[in-house]
Amino acid sequence: MIQQLLGFLSYYIPELMCVVLMTTLLMAEAAVKEEHGSRDKIYTYALAVLALTLIPLFQNLSKPPVIIFHNAVTIDAFSTMIKIIMVLGTMGSIFLSRSSKDIYTNLKSEFAIMAVGVLIGGMLLASANNMLTLYLGIETLSILSYVMSSLKRDEATSAEAGMKYALYGGLTAGVMLYGISHLYGVLGTIQFSEMIGGLGSLEGTNMMIVMVSFLLFFAGIGYKISCFPFHMWSPDVYQGAPIPVTSFFSIVPKLGGLAALVRVSMVFFNHETIISVSWIGLMLVISAMTMTVGNVTAIGQTSVKRMLAFSSIGHIGMMILGVVVLNDVGVRAILFYGIVYMFMTLIAFYITSHLSDMYGTDSIDVFKGLIYKHPLMAIIMASVLFSLAGMPPFSGFIAKFNIFSVIIEKKYYGIALVAAVNSVIALYYYMKLAKTMIFGEMKSDEKVAGFTTANQAVIVALFIPVVFLGIFWEKVMIMSGNAAIFIK
Amino acid sequence: MMGLASYLLISLILFVAGLVVMIARKNIVAILLGIELILNASALNFVAYSRYVTNNLDGHIFSLFIIVVAAAEAAVGLAIVIRFFQIKETVHVDEATQLRN
Repeated sequence: MIQQLLGFLSYYIPELMCVVLMTTLLMAEAAVKEEHGSRDKIYTYALAVLALTLIPLFQNLSKPPVIIFHNAVTIDAFSTMIKIIMVLGTMGSIFLSRSSKDIYTNLKSEFAIMAVGVLIGGMLLASANNMLTLYLGIETLSILSYVMSSLKRDEATSAEAGMKYALYGGLTAGVMLYGISHLYGVLGTIQFSEMIGGLGSLEGTNMMIVMVSFLLFFAGIGYKISCFPFHMWSPDVYQGAPIPVTSFFSIVPKLGGLAALVRVSMVFFNHETIISVSWIGLMLVISAMTMTVGNVTAIGQTSVKRMLAFSSIGHIGMMILGVVVLNDVGVRAILFYGIVYMFMTLIAFYITSHLSDMYGTDSIDVFKGLIYKHPLMAIIMASVLFSLAGMPPFSGFIAKFNIFSVIIEKKYYGIALVAAVNSVIALYYYMKLAKTMIFGEMKSDEKVAGFTTANQAVIVALFIPVVFLGIFWEKVMIMSGNAAIFIK
Repeated sequence: MMGLASYLLISLILFVAGLVVMIARKNIVAILLGIELILNASALNFVAYSRYVTNNLDGHIFSLFIIVVAAAEAAVGLAIVIRFFQIKETVHVDEATQLRN
């Protein structure tokens, strides 16, 4: 028994490391208060431990998939890949929070604590194998996110963002729970693997209850990935929260929710039943609406943060298309999109953060004439915008290409057309920003203080994958080649 | 006789009441109470199904977790509302209109 438990724990090292990191960060934060030097040490410690968690994660990638802790948690290549992306995203956001003026100096290490907490929730969510772990993952993710979005605590906008997030989040979590409770009643268990058996032999009233329950259940996940009917909170929260928090929100909670959506879809709807057909129909409609709403609304935005929020809604719509096909190729396409999206989002937020620290606003005007002041940064930002829009030769193109190829293979021509039209719309507003950078009238000749040599080096380092993943994408696909969903 | 149906009916009433409170009331504290009603509706469902239908302990465990998480969520929610009240001096939801296009 003990030996079995220890064997399980060896798969669970990354999560345990994060829990230890969060606890020790809490104590360290309480021990050192005002001195600036010790806070630097806290940052180094947090980033170092997060980097160390990558080692067991990469080791787990090559191990065969297992179910641990009495069928509660799955460790398979898919969940491990999602965890790697989330850890990298967390590291990026924590590094950004160090130089950002948007987070009060005395709250900086608290940002790191809560980011690690959200990361733990995301890891739990990515490898959830029953409804209880899924619910706990979503709630760990959400409750800490509410605090993070109201981190700029002297400003009304930030408090308002946190409040909107908490109210929407509480409502959708409750609705999701109500759905799960009826699923439990009809199917008799909360284990994913045992629930599949019950789904095949449903009829009459039970069938109706299960279909409605799945709809309610989708509310919880849909809210976390901010897809169409539940996307209303996302632009408000993105705008109100400090920029490092915004960049964190557009990576970790979204990918965690997406992982849960992928797993649930692959587990429950992989067979030809009336429920799975209606689920695919629902996903197609939601994906089309999410892309269209996100991209069309992004056009008129003047705040860059808000524009990036709407653009991330558009990207999520694109990623949901990989769920629709319900096969391993689609899952791999989502994973690749997730990796590329993480790097592109981080760069876009890094540059926006340094510029808005300088001018004290996140309006699109701060980008005016950037190319004359910092040509390298402007070129990188323009390339990232091209990549976000899905233009070759950058990796964003390959990511979109993978999604298109899986849906065309399954003959969903209508949705492919919608996605193509959306890419054109997205190109328009990304190019508007690029145009501002190159042709906009400069406000002043003053250099941007945030672009120190170290920060520029980090941005360049983040930019390398955006270029080279587009060329060596086959290597990544091979690495995630066994990233199939493991069901037991 | 109290059967499964009566429990399900009560939980449905609680759920709908929670939704109505969330939509109709403008006071943020009242909206948080609505969330609690919805969470309790599902906890009641879990226990009722566990007792009458499935005969395993999954439902009981789940409802215990719901109670714990609901407490955590209420604590964080109230803390944010207090912060909002200190800045805006109101807990009316119509005052939360700074973040718009």
